[in-house]
Amino acid sequence: MGNYFIRRIFQMVFVIWGVVTVTFLIIRIVPGDPARLMEPPGTPEESIQVIRTRLGTDKPIPQQYVEYLANLTRGDLGKPFRGGTSVTEVIAAKLPNTLKLGLVSIIVATTIGSLLGVIAALRQNSLIDKGVLVFVALALATPNFWLAVMLVLIFAIQLHWLPAIDMAGPESYVLPVTALAIVLLPLIVRTVRQSFTEALTEDFVRAARARGLSERRVIFLHVMKVAAIPLVTLVGIQAGFVLGGSLVVESIFNWPGVGNYTLNAIQARDYPMVQGCVLVIASIFVVVNFLVDMTYAFLDPRIKF
Amino acid sequence: MACHGMPHSFIGQKGGDVNGETDLHARSQCHLWAVLAPEASDLQKEEIKMNEYDVLEILKRKLRDGTLTRREFLQAAGMFGIGTLGAAYLAGCAPAPAATPVPPKPAEPTKPPAPAATAIPVPPTAPALSGSLRFLVAESFWSDWHPYMTTAASLGRIGYNIWDRLILIESDSYSDFKPGLALEWKRLDQLTLEMKLRQGVKFHEGQDFTADDVKASIELASGATPIETLSRTTWVPTTVEIVDKYTVRLKTKTPFAPLLAMLSTTAIIRAGEDGDTLKKRPNGTGPFKLVKDEKDIKTMEGIPNYWLKGQPKLKTMVHEFVQDAQTRLNALLAGQADVIDRVPPEHWATIKANANLVLEMKTRLENVNMWMRQDAKPPFNNYKLRQAFAWCIDREAMVKNLLGGSSVVAKSFIPNLCNYFVEQQPVYTYNPDKALEAVKAAGFASIKDVPVVPISVTTGFLPRSVECVQYIIDNFQKVGFKTTLKTSDVAGMVDDLFSKADPKPGFMFHLSWGNGTGDPHSSLATLFRSPGAWAAPSDTKLDEMIDKGVQTVDPTERAKVYKDLQAYLWEQMPHIPLNNSDVATGYNKKVKGLILLGVGRQLFNNTSVD
Repeated sequence: MGNYFIRRIFQMVFVIWGVVTVTFLIIRIVPGDPARLMEPPGTPEESIQVIRTRLGTDKPIPQQYVEYLANLTRGDLGKPFRGGTSVTEVIAAKLPNTLKLGLVSIIVATTIGSLLGVIAALRQNSLIDKGVLVFVALALATPNFWLAVMLVLIFAIQLHWLPAIDMAGPESYVLPVTALAIVLLPLIVRTVRQSFTEALTEDFVRAARARGLSERRVIFLHVMKVAAIPLVTLVGIQAGFVLGGSLVVESIFNWPGVGNYTLNAIQARDYPMVQGCVLVIASIFVVVNFLVDMTYAFLDPRIKF
Repeated sequence: MACHGMPHSFIGQKGGDVNGETDLHARSQCHLWAVLAPEASDLQKEEIKMNEYDVLEILKRKLRDGTLTRREFLQAAGMFGIGTLGAAYLAGCAPAPAATPVPPKPAEPTKPPAPAATAIPVPPTAPALSGSLRFLVAESFWSDWHPYMTTAASLGRIGYNIWDRLILIESDSYSDFKPGLALEWKRLDQLTLEMKLRQGVKFHEGQDFTADDVKASIELASGATPIETLSRTTWVPTTVEIVDKYTVRLKTKTPFAPLLAMLSTTAIIRAGEDGDTLKKRPNGTGPFKLVKDEKDIKTMEGIPNYWLKGQPKLKTMVHEFVQDAQTRLNALLAGQADVIDRVPPEHWATIKANANLVLEMKTRLENVNMWMRQDAKPPFNNYKLRQAFAWCIDREAMVKNLLGGSSVVAKSFIPNLCNYFVEQQPVYTYNPDKALEAVKAAGFASIKDVPVVPISVTTGFLPRSVECVQYIIDNFQKVGFKTTLKTSDVAGMVDDLFSKADPKPGFMFHLSWGNGTGDPHSSLATLFRSPGAWAAPSDTKLDEMIDKGVQTVDPTERAKVYKDLQAYLWEQMPHIPLNNSDVATGYNKKVKGLILLGVGRQLFNNTSVD
């Protein structure tokens, strides 16, 4: 277990380093000089060069890279090119909003998805099962940005039941969480349905029934635990989708999170901001998957590291 | 209250300006209250500042109530320095009670009953600030607060609420200069403008506004100091002589015709604030002060004692950056925003169809052009070829079918609403014969010999830019030109334009250039005065004409200069003017008093929210 833990830590660091490096290079290869964007067109090159020196973008790229990595080891994500005293501060202010949205979305999707999956598994080939599968197919085909816009149109603009933008109060979570959760649902429903169906045919379930345990106890105590293992994996992967999908959803709902901020930073070629946001999102994804893996041992004693 | 014989500027001015004067500062407000209305509460005394009108109203009521004789009325008015006015007021009013007191009746009170507590003669005053307005803007607040260094339109627009100018323009008549922080001005000679400044104005941080501030502001903005600013590119160095605390003389280095226009756009900052301080926070005399500065949200509060009575009306105003146009529209439709910026054409119908919303559009003082980097390199170093391209574009059809709204075809190199605008001839339109003629005149045997022209367009900046350029390319290709199209965001295109590598010859791109003053100088000097990046580098004739336009102070002579200059540019066609864009703003009907200017900004001084 100790070796596995250390091995995973190294893997995580390697993955994060890879993400940081790729982001660092891509943002500098893409056309657009952040220094030039800060001045009106036609500003003399000498003035632009002064700005480049201030931003540090006049240095050779390898030098910029080494300095960036060195600062990272000290926990310094740099200073945004456009406003703000430090990238860390800006992200620290925005990240909790993204995490809240993501967490609520995952919880809602997992809860509803599990419920629908279990119901479909217990009522296989019935009308309910077919209805759930149709719903899953529709949800799978629906782009979340389109869904988000439709939800706003109907519930915020036509009916005035819910706010269209901003993060203000519990009601403001409903539409963005719905937009994110519906995208996560299909895979959860199908995975739970499949694993539940398989688990129901296992010998230990027959044995539990034979011992006289109630059906509810069989399902929720014995079957759920086994069926949950792939679900846990799925939640880990879905965390990545949620974090990535939040960029668009946050933009549509003007949610004050890291996703919305990243989009603006990309347009402005704010290198430190883009790098910092991507680093944080990647790190969260990696850590969540690590925790997911650690959870396996708890769920299935057969699994040993 | 009807009072005959009173000047109209006095009647009905409830607590407002009286003949241009403000509150009775020369007399202690405490003294006024103590004498005239000692029963008033501390809050009333604290918040309400009396002026002559207020004093006379109170005296009049006391006269009517019998607590003051006519003689006492005049004495009191004189005591407060408004004797003549008071006398005229008295003469024009309904007769007062008899000057001689009524003999007392022992069994009855000799005075009329004291007025009820609620009937304290409180002078009328400006209504308290109320309401909050949320304005969603399309451009981020990416720059710092330095008013002479920022080119961020979003921050520039906020700046108009926070800093005052010496001169105001509050309509689309760009020669209609109104007093701002300067009450009056006169030209002493070609180089010198004397200005009398408004007194009693305070900065948001409490300091008095004086001539020192004007000196610091104008000299810094105009480049008369060694400190670099961006604003100096549109000024000539101007020194400021302080005649007295409220009188200044501005002296330009060379005759500078757009001086008043520039004074209408130059913020007045507090003297003694260095560059770092100016960058960090704004301290102005404007109707709003910044109270909360977040990355994408700027919160301002209305100033209760603003020098212009009756303004502002709003208690709070929030400008917030929301990048996505659909998100801005959703917020407006859902009632979560009061005003939204840059409404694209595809959203106009939605706003117009909503009974609670208003879509206001103005033709903007902004030319959208097909720019051609010239650099004295082929093929665009030949003006005949540039004309040939101009003869390929059906601008009327483009404006009518793709843009709509208040966009109009550009008819000169300065926007159609600009001062000194002259409609140019010929009117370039889609004419393949003339295009081919111009190609031959440019020295090409046939149109096939013209090199491929790379064309670039940005997304997400100008409305329907990609559609317009695709239409233009279609026009070019029908005539026989060969083109390629590259689509990128603003950053990408600016990089292509000005990258360190030698820019490609024959590179054409679609972009706009706005005019923030209404003076042609703003459109022409920065773009075409060499050694700028946009003009042919050796066009000395153009330089001379631009300089002449700036230095000719007499309006009639200046009009002649700009007539010739525009005609010359139209012939040379350094780029192809397509259209004047429009500025479309959407807002809720409960927003009143919002003024939209063609220079692309909204005025919130008189805005209220029901």
